[in-house]
Amino acid sequence: MMTRLYVSAAVLALGAQGALAQDLKFPIGEGAFNWDSYKAFDEATNLEGQTLTIFGPWRGEDQVLVEVMLAYFTAASGVKVNYSSSENYEQQIVIDAQAGSPPDIAILPQPGLIADLVKRGFVTPLGEDTQKWLAENYAAGDSWVGLGSYAGPDGTKALYAFPYKIDVKSLVWYSPENFEDAGYEVPQTMEELKALTEQIVADGGTPWCIGLGSGGATGWPATDWVEDLMLRTQPADVYDRWTTNELAFNSPEVVGAIEDFGWFAKNDAFVAGGAAAVASTDFRDSPKGLFTSPPQCYLHHQASFIPSFFPEGTVVGQDADFFYFPAYAGKDLGKPVLGAGTLAFITKDTPASRAFIEWLKTPIAHEVWMAQKSFLTPLKTVNADLYGDPTMKKMGDILLNATTFRFDGSDLMPGSVGAGSFWTGMVDFVGGKSAQEVADAIQASWPK
Amino acid sequence: MNPAFQALLVIAVGVGGCVGYFYLSNLFLDKVLFPARGPQAGRNINRANAVRPWLFLFPALALLCLYLAYPVFATFWLSLHGKDGSFVGTGNYTAMFQEPKFGESLRNNMLWLVVVPAAATGFGLLAAQLTDRIKWGNIAKSLIFMPMAISFVGASVIFKLVYDSRDAAVAQIGLLNALWLKFEGGIWSVLFLRVLPAVLVGGLLLAVLWGGWLLLRPVLDARRQEKPLIKAARVLGGLVALVIAFELGVWLLGVFTNVLPYGRPQAWLQIPFWNSFFLMAVLIWIQTGFAMVILSAALRGVPEDTIEAAILDGANPFQIFFKVKVPQIMGTIVVVWTTITITVLKVFDIVLAMTNGQWETQVLANYMYDKLFRSLDWGMGSAAAMVIMALVTPILIWNVWNARKEMR
Amino acid sequence: MDNIAGKKPALLWAVHISVVALVLLWVVPTFGLLVSSFRTGDQIVSSGWWQALTTQETQQAAVRIAGTEAEKDGAFVIEGNLFPAKGVEISHWGTSSREPEAFAPGETAPLNDGMTLTVQADGAFVLTSPVTTKDMRLPRVFSTASSPPEFTTRNYTNVISSPLAGQSIGQAFINTLTVSIPATIIPILVAAFAAYALAWMEFPGRALLVAFVVGLLVVPLQLALIPLLQFHNWIGIGKGYLGIWMAHTGFGLPLAIYLLRNYMVGLPRDIIENAKVDGATDFQIFVKIILPLSFPALASFAIFQFLWTWNDLLVALVFLGTGNDQQVLTGNLVNLMGSRGGDWEILSASAFVSIAVPLVVFFSMQRFLVRGLLAGSVK
Repeated sequence: MMTRLYVSAAVLALGAQGALAQDLKFPIGEGAFNWDSYKAFDEATNLEGQTLTIFGPWRGEDQVLVEVMLAYFTAASGVKVNYSSSENYEQQIVIDAQAGSPPDIAILPQPGLIADLVKRGFVTPLGEDTQKWLAENYAAGDSWVGLGSYAGPDGTKALYAFPYKIDVKSLVWYSPENFEDAGYEVPQTMEELKALTEQIVADGGTPWCIGLGSGGATGWPATDWVEDLMLRTQPADVYDRWTTNELAFNSPEVVGAIEDFGWFAKNDAFVAGGAAAVASTDFRDSPKGLFTSPPQCYLHHQASFIPSFFPEGTVVGQDADFFYFPAYAGKDLGKPVLGAGTLAFITKDTPASRAFIEWLKTPIAHEVWMAQKSFLTPLKTVNADLYGDPTMKKMGDILLNATTFRFDGSDLMPGSVGAGSFWTGMVDFVGGKSAQEVADAIQASWPK
Repeated sequence: MNPAFQALLVIAVGVGGCVGYFYLSNLFLDKVLFPARGPQAGRNINRANAVRPWLFLFPALALLCLYLAYPVFATFWLSLHGKDGSFVGTGNYTAMFQEPKFGESLRNNMLWLVVVPAAATGFGLLAAQLTDRIKWGNIAKSLIFMPMAISFVGASVIFKLVYDSRDAAVAQIGLLNALWLKFEGGIWSVLFLRVLPAVLVGGLLLAVLWGGWLLLRPVLDARRQEKPLIKAARVLGGLVALVIAFELGVWLLGVFTNVLPYGRPQAWLQIPFWNSFFLMAVLIWIQTGFAMVILSAALRGVPEDTIEAAILDGANPFQIFFKVKVPQIMGTIVVVWTTITITVLKVFDIVLAMTNGQWETQVLANYMYDKLFRSLDWGMGSAAAMVIMALVTPILIWNVWNARKEMR
Repeated sequence: MDNIAGKKPALLWAVHISVVALVLLWVVPTFGLLVSSFRTGDQIVSSGWWQALTTQETQQAAVRIAGTEAEKDGAFVIEGNLFPAKGVEISHWGTSSREPEAFAPGETAPLNDGMTLTVQADGAFVLTSPVTTKDMRLPRVFSTASSPPEFTTRNYTNVISSPLAGQSIGQAFINTLTVSIPATIIPILVAAFAAYALAWMEFPGRALLVAFVVGLLVVPLQLALIPLLQFHNWIGIGKGYLGIWMAHTGFGLPLAIYLLRNYMVGLPRDIIENAKVDGATDFQIFVKIILPLSFPALASFAIFQFLWTWNDLLVALVFLGTGNDQQVLTGNLVNLMGSRGGDWEILSASAFVSIAVPLVVFFSMQRFLVRGLLAGSVK
């Protein structure tokens, strides 16, 4: 009897929530959006009365942005969407999948974790059509198909996850006016960047703000550094073999990249607060040093999301700007770009979840988020003029100029390395251990 | 329907259901099944009394079996299986014991197990005794209890602010570093950073030595006849005390000889070994309130006449406290100690939020969480859990033994 | 007990001083965060909270000149104040990050393209330019200034009415209450009966059961999550309130039984035996004698269980889900912290929002607790 009462209570609560459904942010039919794709989807899909639960990584500000996009899906398909997220979303998806009460659609930024879930049979394959569609419609489509394909429970590889929304990681942030005041130029090569670093020290300043602190995830910003330097010192296929452990973590190629990171982070003169402060500074506090007076530092290496943590009122493009983390001119490895992204996958096969994957194929699903902010997409059919702010367009250009695009390596590695020993190893490294020591320990922790 | 009203209704049904069960089942037992009247009244009363304990126990036992006992067996079973679900026997255990991180967790856990319950119970007892004697004691109690009301997440935020460390060039916002920078090696530094710790460590050293002597004295006393087992236990205890005393002596020496990095802000959570103590401080801060409330209730329950008798005998307040009150509330102290010990073994939130086991602060509970949800290795995680349970077994046996002694 | 201390004033003073020291040690960390929660983000990171009441001379964050342009004598002029309504006193200022203290108040700085800038001690500025400054990037002003103490409640309004949380904090409040009230009362009821049976009823296997309960005290919660969620899905209650009550009840029971049994065992034997002689049944003894006598233990456990369920995050995440009608306060605040994690002002304010109710409950329940404790000690 208690169960029945609870169920009816839940139904009532759902009804109340429906009244709060968001209004559509961009009126249908107006602006340079691809409304035809919306209308086509609207006509083809009628799932009135169905509900879809989505569990994703976007919280706070990002949750508002994604819900705008979801409102269009609801309007077109009639499916009521329940989006939720939490700080511990990775663990929660694992627990829910294991216990048999997963959401309909889960969205995760870690391909390594998705591979685990696929292997245990919790994910539904997306099918050949979607695979073909991705290869055709995404820029560098085959690499995206590769990113979303994993070995299933029976060992056959298939497409399980749909990449949606990407971030560029190979960025260096700076304050253009501080550069002007000091007479510095944006470096075009890694050699110039290292020369600039030494120049700033010679001028009595501190070049870098590096912060690895992130509570339980302390250390991850350093993995981005190492991956970026890996792509700049080794060919892309070495990088690929590194992420699968075909190339051992303690091989000289990797140790070299870690030492290169050490050139920046382990020199007391190069980092604000000295090398000892690197591990203890929170990555969210770290960029604030760019904006103090006098500036605590001039340069900050971080992904495209970091402006959320700039001091209030900072205008990107005016108070702060970014440049491409350059490649070594002497190494002829092209212009590699490191990125990250989120992948959507079906954890409960229903018509609504299938429809949602179809929806992600429409240009409009990308454009309504693009037109807001912090959204990059490799989909070729979107109208690039819709980018909500010019900096996103500039990042899009970095992406387009890339000769190589590689996904965040730590997200590709097994969780115990990519979200474990790699992080702690980097903390030990900046704390004083040698690159070889650290790399040996990480290699030892790689699951057999 | 208003959600608040729904919630109330649901609460009423849930709680009412519970009360209803106990009331109606007892009614049924006494009036219908074994009525205490008619020809078999006497037998029925006996029968009803034999059944009633189980009636009282049934909901609790059912929930316990389902929610705790069953997972224990499931865990044990899982701990014998590998990551891919195949049976590996004790493979997980041997693999785990070879991991350096596991050894580190085990060592740290031992440290936590000794320091946190002792400090929290000690402070709790002190606070309970002192606040009972003054007019504004209740206010003081509320303030000391307050951290109990703060979630681990909140406590981590609070102590992160205390431990915050910044470049020496800018103003410190962490209280501990601001205080630390006040010391420059002058007379106050010597007083606070050499003499005071030396007095504390020295006091502890003497207490340990005295405790060891108390343990060993009966062995040296030839007149006393004791079982060899107890003698052996006494010698073992004495040796442990000696080892601890030696360690403390080394510390005492260190207090005077080590070179302190005056004038440089410290990243407190990154100093190996000592950072564990900074994490423990958070849990001690939280748990002292618990110990104080329970112990204060026990202290008030100490019969007045025993105290009055002691006063008449000319005992001073310290003697009254240690020789009259403490022995009478020993049972409660054991309960508090046990409860905090168990909390220590299970706490992972503080470590997770503040260091995630880096800089050599890993503890078993966080190690297990890491294995379960980050590595998705259920076998290893379960094995770690079994180790946690094994660690508590001595305390358990002691508690059970105590419980049985009481019942006799 | 006062009679002991009362005789020796010196000792009494020592007691007072020790208690003050102890209380300070325990309160200061929280107080620091409380003070911080009323300061702006800039203030929190530029000076320690203990300096909140003093006037601070600090390097201010760079302020970009802004305002409406007016044409005056052939030049384009923007007038305004760098720190409107803040009572700031500027000691030095500059326009370059390299020389942030180049000028004294009232001096005029020459800028690029013939522009000039004058800044007064109170922050008033005049920017003069020979050409229009429209579509131009206006200069930044660096200043060293002493600012009076300032407190704000904006952090709290931000946290409480944050549109970013995706859900109102009021709903989360109700959800949390819906979780924690039954999850406090049900285990107490269930445990009280069981504790009485284990303490005062004679039946075979009693000692074994006590050992069993004590043994379960140590089961790590994290392990029980998946088997139990599987079980909930299997019996069809899935993720929901019923499930989380049962889970909290199950997890809270060992401690409840352990504490209550220990307390009940200590109750005077003759009261219970007299009642039995008078013909009272166990149920009557329990309801009429044991429950009232155990009030202090019940009250203290109730407080602990309530605090635990209120502050819980993990169990709620697993057994309840994160939909709007289910998200609990801790989950809500952790999300807020996660998205703005480096900001002390948000962290401190949200930490205080989350501890407000437990504190109110504790301070109001405390009277009952103390009364119960006093009643319990008369025996």
